[in-house]
Amino acid sequence: MQASFYLQLAIAGISVGSVYALIALSIVVPFKASGVLNFGQGELATLGAYAALVLSQYGLPYYVVAPVVIVSGAVIGLVMERVLIRPIIKAPAFTVVIATFAIGLAIKSAIALHWGDTPFSVEGPFGDEPIVAGGLRLNPTSLWIVFCAVAITALVGCFFKYARPGKAMRAVSINPEAATLMGIKVNGSYRWAWAISSSIGALAGLLVAPVVGINPEIGGLILRGLVAAVLGGFSSVYGAVIGGIAVGLLETFAAVGLGGTVKNLAPFLVLLLLLVFRPYGLFGSREIHRV
Amino acid sequence: MQTSKRVLLRCAVAACALLAIGAGAGSYPAYLISLAMVNVIAAVGLNLLVGNSGQISLCHSSFMAVGAYSSSLLASTVGLPFWASIPAGALVAAIVGALLGLPARRLSGIYLALATLGFLQIVQIIIEEFSDITGGVRGLNTAKPALLGTPLTSYGIYCAVTVVCVAAVWLAINIKRSRIGREFDAVRLSPHAAQALGISVARVKLTAFSLSAGYAGLAGGLFAILVGFIDPNEFGIGSSLKQLTYIVVGGLGSIGGSVVGAALLSGLPELLRPIKEYTDFAAALILLAALLFMPHGLAAAWHRVTPKRGKTTGDVPA
Repeated sequence: MQASFYLQLAIAGISVGSVYALIALSIVVPFKASGVLNFGQGELATLGAYAALVLSQYGLPYYVVAPVVIVSGAVIGLVMERVLIRPIIKAPAFTVVIATFAIGLAIKSAIALHWGDTPFSVEGPFGDEPIVAGGLRLNPTSLWIVFCAVAITALVGCFFKYARPGKAMRAVSINPEAATLMGIKVNGSYRWAWAISSSIGALAGLLVAPVVGINPEIGGLILRGLVAAVLGGFSSVYGAVIGGIAVGLLETFAAVGLGGTVKNLAPFLVLLLLLVFRPYGLFGSREIHRV
Repeated sequence: MQTSKRVLLRCAVAACALLAIGAGAGSYPAYLISLAMVNVIAAVGLNLLVGNSGQISLCHSSFMAVGAYSSSLLASTVGLPFWASIPAGALVAAIVGALLGLPARRLSGIYLALATLGFLQIVQIIIEEFSDITGGVRGLNTAKPALLGTPLTSYGIYCAVTVVCVAAVWLAINIKRSRIGREFDAVRLSPHAAQALGISVARVKLTAFSLSAGYAGLAGGLFAILVGFIDPNEFGIGSSLKQLTYIVVGGLGSIGGSVVGAALLSGLPELLRPIKEYTDFAAALILLAALLFMPHGLAAAWHRVTPKRGKTTGDVPA
């Protein structure tokens, strides 16, 4: 009984953490490629959720909605990169941080203008009937989220390892100048990064919609995503995913063991502690210079 | 005339003019002007940290919350009068700012942005969760300010805000021209060079955080007595971005810029009143447009049309 209770909790934590992992992944990919940390990334998830809402209102089935959401996320990412990010990519950190925040705020308030603050509830693709297996009650939506997170991580990992554009992106992130001399188009690599990250963000929104309901505040997920990214070391794809799952587990177990206040505070206390003692995360490489 | 005397004279003239305007204007315009002055105090403090010492802060509104809540609680529980509780609140905020400055000394760029964002969340959660003290999400009614037993009229509050605001701006001008201000500039332009010249970068960052938190705490305390009600919503990330918009539009590193930016943009919600729901959207677009097309703000534009002053605002902080 006790063991199965903890197992059940762990599965819940991993499922929550999978969403954080996807958000963290969508933060880390462009950061790795172009050094831009997109604080507006959470709003891509909001956009994904609302895109799913609009599409399913047309009566389209889930297996059509999901790819369309992912592709439209990629398109929005491309537009954002070209119109808003590229002009300031060389600007000081302050400008980039605040600008990406402003982009997120603009998207969020535009959505709130059109749809209002009332949440829309949607059903998961596989219903809400729990699957009972070996004394465990598993929510199919949670399982689907975990499956998607694992699949996307594997895809992104393979993309960076084997695919030509992925390898090019790694080259650009190590040394943009040398990469340019080898005939790699740096801007092309930035475009890939933003398209990938925005489609992952949109997917995260689509996945989380049945769990939290579609509302303009979905973008707040980015806070946990950022904690996960810092935990994972900001530059590593797998680190971000492990970080996300760790944050999910931390929240779930803190909620049961120590109550709601601790559950809400824990991720941010961890963030502050990490930034003080290990700013390069648990898996990242040391790149902070002290004066 | 000596510069310091000229500054003092100008501030005194500004104070008299504001007091006269407040006496002549109706109570609602006067209320709006005092809100704008509270924003000016917060913006001036933020600009010392962001524009002058070149740090990134996303948690200025949290220090405002610390000032607002601690001064209100000191007034309601200990019974401190407003002229003591507001400075006390500012002091508490300055101390909390120094505490955040301790870890923040070692961070820069996005890592500092992340740390301050984390701190903002922690303050929000603490206000929301400890609702038996802070009132939680339902907010806190603040005690009516009184002087020698008689409650302050709305013009009385206006006068208090005006005096504090002008004094805060005057102090900031002098800080900027003092050794501390020059150290801020040195740390922003090149931390390595500053360190090599014997300036302790860590101490300067700590001073900047603490000072700017003190300004925010002062603004928070005044905000609490002015509005009479505070809730955590008022001090979220949206407010931090609003304050950053003031100084980006006004000009990073420029005190005149902070004053003009805060004063102009405080009027925005009033201007957009007929299409109120567009306020947030408009604010985000203004911030974005200012960053993309006018990164040095109105102050740089002002110096361009009056080149005889010949001062540039310097680089946007990294």
